[in-house]
Amino acid sequence: MDLAFTPEEQQFREDIRAWVGANLPAEIAHKVHNALHLTRDDMQNWAKILGKKGWLGHGWPKEFGGPGWNSVQKHLFEEECALAGAPRVVPFGPVMVAPVIMAFGTPEQQKRFLPGIASGEVWWSQGYSEPGSGSDLASVKCRAERQGNTYLVNGQKTWTTLGQYGEWIFCLVRTSTEGKPQTGISFLLIDMKSPGVTVRPIVLLDGEAEVNEVFFDNVVVPAENLIGEENKGWTYAKHLLSHERTNIADVNRAKRELERLKRIAKTEGVWDDTRFRDEIAKLEVDVVALEMMVLRVLAAEKSGKNSLDIAGLLKIRGSEIQQRYSELMMLAAGPFSLPLIREAMEAGWQGDAAAGALGGFPGGVVANAPLASTYFNMRKTTIYGGSNEVQRNIVSQTVLS
Amino acid sequence: MDFDFSDDQVQLGDAVRKWVDKGYTFERRRAGEKAGGFDRAAWSEIAELGLCGLYVPEDKGGLGMGPVEGMVVMEELGRGNVLEPLAQSLIAGGVVAGYADAATKAAWLPKIASGEALVVLAYQERAARYRLDKCEAKATQAPGGYVVNATKSVVPVGDQADAFIVPAKVNSQLALFLVERLGAGVTTRGYCTQDGSRAAEVVLKNAPATLITQDGLTALEHAIDIGIAATCAEAVGVMDKTMAITAEYLNTRKQFGVVISSFQALRHRAADMKMQLELARSMSYYANLKLNAPAPERRAAMARAKYQLGQSMRYVGQQAVQLHGGIGVTDEYIVSHYFRKLTQLEMTFGDSMHHLGEVSVRMQDTAGVFA
Repeated sequence: MDLAFTPEEQQFREDIRAWVGANLPAEIAHKVHNALHLTRDDMQNWAKILGKKGWLGHGWPKEFGGPGWNSVQKHLFEEECALAGAPRVVPFGPVMVAPVIMAFGTPEQQKRFLPGIASGEVWWSQGYSEPGSGSDLASVKCRAERQGNTYLVNGQKTWTTLGQYGEWIFCLVRTSTEGKPQTGISFLLIDMKSPGVTVRPIVLLDGEAEVNEVFFDNVVVPAENLIGEENKGWTYAKHLLSHERTNIADVNRAKRELERLKRIAKTEGVWDDTRFRDEIAKLEVDVVALEMMVLRVLAAEKSGKNSLDIAGLLKIRGSEIQQRYSELMMLAAGPFSLPLIREAMEAGWQGDAAAGALGGFPGGVVANAPLASTYFNMRKTTIYGGSNEVQRNIVSQTVLS
Repeated sequence: MDFDFSDDQVQLGDAVRKWVDKGYTFERRRAGEKAGGFDRAAWSEIAELGLCGLYVPEDKGGLGMGPVEGMVVMEELGRGNVLEPLAQSLIAGGVVAGYADAATKAAWLPKIASGEALVVLAYQERAARYRLDKCEAKATQAPGGYVVNATKSVVPVGDQADAFIVPAKVNSQLALFLVERLGAGVTTRGYCTQDGSRAAEVVLKNAPATLITQDGLTALEHAIDIGIAATCAEAVGVMDKTMAITAEYLNTRKQFGVVISSFQALRHRAADMKMQLELARSMSYYANLKLNAPAPERRAAMARAKYQLGQSMRYVGQQAVQLHGGIGVTDEYIVSHYFRKLTQLEMTFGDSMHHLGEVSVRMQDTAGVFA
């Protein structure tokens, strides 16, 4: 038993840190460190920089052009990116659909889709949830009817994150209504430029359109876009979910945001208020405990000696922590988090110079501009990816019969 | 980074678990509690396993092992809710081996290792609560060494221990001393504590004392940290067993015609208990793996760990009683004994509020497992 990383792992971290430092554009890092608005170009620029280095698919095995890193190396890479202020990699292509294509796609499908994912050229979206199926994913109704060499797709997906930018979407579609709900689902890749696909943004409580509804009206999809076998899509979907075990805890981002919380607390004058400071201290312990739990899972994966049934806990705890730091940041600013001025969340916003003292951000310092918005946005974290109540059901199965 | 136990560590844990399962039944524990909270026979059995010498160097008759072995052993003793305070031997072994002069080491370490001498830390004072720098006990030089004047509270097995490790001030400097219970000027009054174990009020009046170190605060902080790391591990064992007892109960108890583990409200509570248990286990690893780190890093880690453990112990203990319903609050049933143990351990070597304060004053700009 040893807490320290090996000298090789420490060197690996140094190398990653140096590379990220040299290649992450400063204006993007500035936006991330201050929770300012990230554009599609910001996200895709960083994806392409990583893609060029061969690190966008940083979890990929060597045979598919990935670096072939082990669980600890992947973690170190993610941590260095997060602490440096890199945007989170949009996961739908490189982290979600790519492993499914690798495991269950044909060589032709792999040749056709993986290069565009690896380079960051093609923006993928996720078509899982539907209006009637929240955490009960097996109840999806979006229908795909086989007609010769094509499928005819009719139905609706929703909560499609950043779907307004999507070029391709991977969908769980119903190809059979017989047997258990899980047995009639197929995994289909759909070109979002196909006639009959409509994307409609959903404005959320923070005023942003981060998610979308996607409608399919008699969309014709070539049968060659089916992954694996018809009606086996549930198995593939579960494979995808099992791929995201530690990442969903997002502990690296939590460490970065804890630093930001302390900066805000100092600026707002509550750092020396014992009542407030103790709340930060509690969060600090929560973050360290979560990090230890993540490291335990990573070490177990690396050594392969023991399996841990604590992955479900990571999602619950990680999401609670995300909500808590966003809440404390807002509370640190207190009344100065009230002004909700969208332009002030853009990088480089100067206010109205002509208006003099009245032209600046009315919430004290402009760093306070996004705090409420982020707090509102973070309410999603205990709902998505299987709500925390569903996660508790899953965790309880490891304890109770 | 590696969180696997070596084969030797697994074997050590198995040996202790075997003794607990066969040699330390719930009936025996109850008998020990009725007999006053300390059973010298049980202590001797623990000593025969070599456990008292875990942190004593091999050339002084110990096992010369480290915190991971300490953690493995304490977790198993916790699982058995053992009354006898092995953590005290870990502290005594660590402190005497780390700070005393050669003669004191030669005189005491073999006896500590063999279990012949139960040496306990007598540091608690009425006015100090959990503060270590606050100390009213005084020591003065006398022919052949020192004499100590002190009143120390809640000293584990204080009326039956063979010697005490006592912090006392020489002029204004905190120093650490060894005082034998059967020496002159020592009076004790023993009693039972919350969890059924034994403690005593210890009064020293010009009691002859051997100096361990003049850098008493450094050594005392180290002693407390050995205690915290051991307590964290012990607490994980207690919680692990508490969780298992509760799960077993939920899986078998029927109400309204069904097993109560079918109720989602209770399933979610069990999931939350599991969360607290695993956070606690993670932080027990953290505490024990940081026990040999430089003092500032070690102290910060202990505060974080003990805060988490305190929160976890209170939650798991209280919910275990609640989920059992009426039987949970009886003395006859096992779970109330585990609950009382968890309650006592939270207040051993600093409670959650104290350690939250320690975390709070030590906060830096960045934080994480390695910072």
